[in-house]
Amino acid sequence: MTSSRNPSRDLVAFAGAASTGFQAQNTEQSQVELALRACIAVLKQCGLRASDIDGICGTSTPEARRIQSGLGIDELTWFANPVMPMVNPVAAAVGAVAAGLCDVVLCYHAAYRLPWNTASSLKDPYRATGQATGAGMPQPETMAGAVGYAGWASRYIYEFNAPREHFGYVALNSRHNAIDNPLAAMREPMTMDDYLAARMIRSPLCLLDMDVPVDGADAFVITTTERARDLPNRPVLVNAVSLGMADQNEEDQSRSLERNGQHVVIESLKAKGDFWIDDIDLYFPYDGFTIITLNWIENAGFCGRGEAGVFLSENRDYESGQIMINGRVPVNSHGGALSEGGTQGSGHIREAILQLQGLAGDRQVRGPERALVTAGGFFINAQGILLRIE
Amino acid sequence: MVLDISDEELVVRFRGHPIDRDNAEHYRGRLERQLRINRCKDCGTWNHPPIPTCPTCWSLNVEAAPVSGDGTIYLVVFLHQGPPAEGVDYSVPYPVVTVELDEKVRFTSTIVGANNDEIEIGKRVSLDWIERTATPLPVFRLQTSEKSE
Repeated sequence: MTSSRNPSRDLVAFAGAASTGFQAQNTEQSQVELALRACIAVLKQCGLRASDIDGICGTSTPEARRIQSGLGIDELTWFANPVMPMVNPVAAAVGAVAAGLCDVVLCYHAAYRLPWNTASSLKDPYRATGQATGAGMPQPETMAGAVGYAGWASRYIYEFNAPREHFGYVALNSRHNAIDNPLAAMREPMTMDDYLAARMIRSPLCLLDMDVPVDGADAFVITTTERARDLPNRPVLVNAVSLGMADQNEEDQSRSLERNGQHVVIESLKAKGDFWIDDIDLYFPYDGFTIITLNWIENAGFCGRGEAGVFLSENRDYESGQIMINGRVPVNSHGGALSEGGTQGSGHIREAILQLQGLAGDRQVRGPERALVTAGGFFINAQGILLRIE
Repeated sequence: MVLDISDEELVVRFRGHPIDRDNAEHYRGRLERQLRINRCKDCGTWNHPPIPTCPTCWSLNVEAAPVSGDGTIYLVVFLHQGPPAEGVDYSVPYPVVTVELDEKVRFTSTIVGANNDEIEIGKRVSLDWIERTATPLPVFRLQTSEKSE
């Protein structure tokens, strides 16, 4: 059933990416201010004015109309607010540009510490009353949301007898990479002993298996590749993009570790795209929970089922914890959701763009040309994107 | 008797639960301590959570039917923290299990009457009931008479 049709291939590009940076504390900024700051940064970077923008697309909050109001954008011919994670608004924007609904899209995600994330965010009165109130408290007896990832981690451990260290490899790599990233929230070095001693939250997953609630935002400009060539930064072309979902998509009904949204994304990207894992210079497997990363690595084809931990142990530096696939391809070079901050994949995409543009500062990889981002989890939000430069 | 309670009263009895038209019969069943799962009256397929269609044959002839309640643990989590709920003390990590019922549909709840180190994927369980805020809650109990897989 996987279609290889991909008429927008390489015709739509990122012209720029910018970020406010992230912190694991309540900022004294609203979510809309964070988004606006990132949007202004990317527009200045691209040398664009309000009148150049005719499309706005971000994750659910803040709404596109708030961004238009805040930036005084004259008129829009297209806008949308798809749900998180970040490949949803990117995919919508790519489709809208390719279809001619608009020419230049301002795309954004604002991460915000919601009242139910942490005790300190619960104490901020504006977080309790504002738009960002989030979901209500469910009963304990559910696998919905974060609990589901702990549930499937237990299943992974049961099926493959995986030790905790295999999950720890993912956390240590993210932390090592965040140390060189000034945008990152968590930059203190971490050891395997630190990981193993961390507080259990939803056993078998501990505090360091989960991404960090942060305040901060990323913003992007997405336009035609032709238009992007006239802007200051090197265009980063969208070779293929996919949002994958498999049937029985509820967390507790998902068929198995062999059949979920990740498999749909992988098959779709392989069918639509022009390159795959042997050709990439950068890999960004989502790490909102460590169990997600282990499965992306296996499902993308780097190793067999249940082998991600051993694969990582063979492709990591024992001293630093940094993973370099085949000694060459870094994994989540910005520190991922686990250590840069829980950005719903916007950090992964922004870092891929900055690396491909040669703008990644101390983390810059030498001459990367192609990147794979596999964002989201298993159930309702697996997604991926293949990016390249010309 | 309890079968006849109004939609309004059902919502009040299950305050805090996401009661809607599509899952109301499941929750009415709880008041009779009967675990009801949607089953297609045309092709017989079980499906959960409740949705008005049969995803296998697209029939709308779907009913909430009682299940045996026997099954096998498929997923296990121990919550060291979580939402407040009557009778739940996270000082001992609170087990949440997804059980693959013998009807080949999964249902998630907790396990009662077992130490946490006994609760493992692959073990057989049976349905039981406890009360929370004076309302029946379906839970599972390990089948102690039987060896685990």
